[in-house]
Amino acid sequence: MSYILNRILSMLLTLFLISAITFAVTNILPGDVAMMIMGTQSNPEALAGLRETLGLNDPLLAQYGRWIGGMLTGDWGTSLVFKEPIAPLLIQKMTASGLIVLLSMTIALVCAVPLGVWAAVHPNRWQDTASSSAALLGVSLPDFFWGIMLILLFARALHWLPSSGFVDPREDLLLALRHALLPALALGLGLMAHLTRMTRATMTGILNQEFIRVARAKGLGEGTVVWRYGLANAVGPVMTVAGLQVGYLFGSIIVIESLFNYTGMGWLTYQGLLNRDIPLIQASVFVIAAVVMLANLLVDILYVLVDPRIRLS
Amino acid sequence: MKLPAAFRTSKGLIGTGLVIAILLVAVLAPMLIPADWATKMDMRARLSPPTLAHPLGTDQLGRDLLYRVLLGTQTSIFIAGAAVLMSIVIGLPLGLISGYAGGTTDNVLMRLVDTLLSFPALLLALTISAVLGPNLHNTVIAIGIAFTPFLARIIRGEALRVAQMPYVEAARTAGNSDSRLILRHILPNIMPAIIVQSTISLAFAILAEAGLSFLGLGTQPPDASWGLMIQASRDYLDRAPWTALVPGAAVALTVLGLNMFGDALRDALDPRSKGAS
Repeated sequence: MSYILNRILSMLLTLFLISAITFAVTNILPGDVAMMIMGTQSNPEALAGLRETLGLNDPLLAQYGRWIGGMLTGDWGTSLVFKEPIAPLLIQKMTASGLIVLLSMTIALVCAVPLGVWAAVHPNRWQDTASSSAALLGVSLPDFFWGIMLILLFARALHWLPSSGFVDPREDLLLALRHALLPALALGLGLMAHLTRMTRATMTGILNQEFIRVARAKGLGEGTVVWRYGLANAVGPVMTVAGLQVGYLFGSIIVIESLFNYTGMGWLTYQGLLNRDIPLIQASVFVIAAVVMLANLLVDILYVLVDPRIRLS
Repeated sequence: MKLPAAFRTSKGLIGTGLVIAILLVAVLAPMLIPADWATKMDMRARLSPPTLAHPLGTDQLGRDLLYRVLLGTQTSIFIAGAAVLMSIVIGLPLGLISGYAGGTTDNVLMRLVDTLLSFPALLLALTISAVLGPNLHNTVIAIGIAFTPFLARIIRGEALRVAQMPYVEAARTAGNSDSRLILRHILPNIMPAIIVQSTISLAFAILAEAGLSFLGLGTQPPDASWGLMIQASRDYLDRAPWTALVPGAAVALTVLGLNMFGDALRDALDPRSKGAS
């Protein structure tokens, strides 16, 4: 318990640091919000007036205090591009992204673990070569390239799935899944390749250990040895890597959602970045980093629950 | 001289071959191919499929894709190389000091690094690039900063491991100063890990540059990079899929080569990881 409590305390400190870094990065800009609202050709006096109203003349620390206070109380500011309050906008988009992130993580794990085990069980045979080469190719192509290939194949050539757009699952679940499938696959392929490589490496290490030899010598079937004894020990490390990849996924959704016109958080962040919508950039960068950190915390806690060795030590 | 065993595998050989070939293209292409060959527009042959005149086809402005992809190599390699170099220049002292000093210094530095690791590297790079204004140099800075925490973390881990070795202890007892211990005894022993990590980071940097440029927040025209070429192909996918396939293949070959080379390098330099991937 004290371990988990410790982790939560350190999480709060990290959240504070995340907010400070987000604020610092977005404040090294030459221009400012007032300039973005009124345009570069605007009247200097009106500009100065707006700066005063927005509090942009206050010391940075005071501005930071106001911003973080707003973030904590649910007032995330107003988007300059969408002219809407950011909090409801971002939360709505977050569910859209949650759908493809979960879907891609599921696809990746379901395919990668058996493939990796399969390769590890047949080291240096064709099964290993095939699975490892496919995985190597998978990690070597940018995910938006996979996205383009998927669009060409499943949307343009076969007409099986739509190539762009987002549908709310609460309105039409089937249609929503059809729209989410291609972006989720584009996200998941690279991840799958990475996890296959990881599973293979972890399993290879485990299958060479003494206790596996003992299990075989006891006359246990190969299936029991590999799945019950081997994989049980690989779950932790593979889960950790999968958890770390949540960060990678939340980076990739910016590219993939833009490519598929899937209006989730990545798409929203991209609109903010393109239009230098500072309040929107600050809020979404902060939220994404916080989500990634929470996901990693969750994995750490799960790891303790799954692996008794850590719980006891 | 005989090649290390790790490089005599087919993977090691292909990887090394690809890396050498790509470096040669990056250096030689701009010397051998006049720059205007890549920008010359042939309006009668727009979106032309591969032909004798244009072996890899042309883009929407009738520009030859073979020349564009060859000349784009230098831009992509330069950005990736400079970005990785930058992350080493910042990450190396951070990691070395953190791993060597331990205690509070280590705690504070690594807390900062861990926080930075909560930001997806691509998101961090995109934000920095958008904030600084996208161009070639800011792309380098954006990717360089985004990759720094990874390198700092790995270097710190290695430094920590080596700093506890008996020979470092012996050297300290012999009266060597901290800086001498770090530079003469620790740094040379973590070089292999740094080299391997740099090779892998280089592959990631190529992908990151492609992603940034694809979103219009990286290299800007008239500079030609692979990501930019894929971005330009988006509107013509139906009629001319090769406009995406050609730069996509260039990225794939480069990253594939770097990954295979990196794997072989790791096996050669660090026997513990033999056959790990």
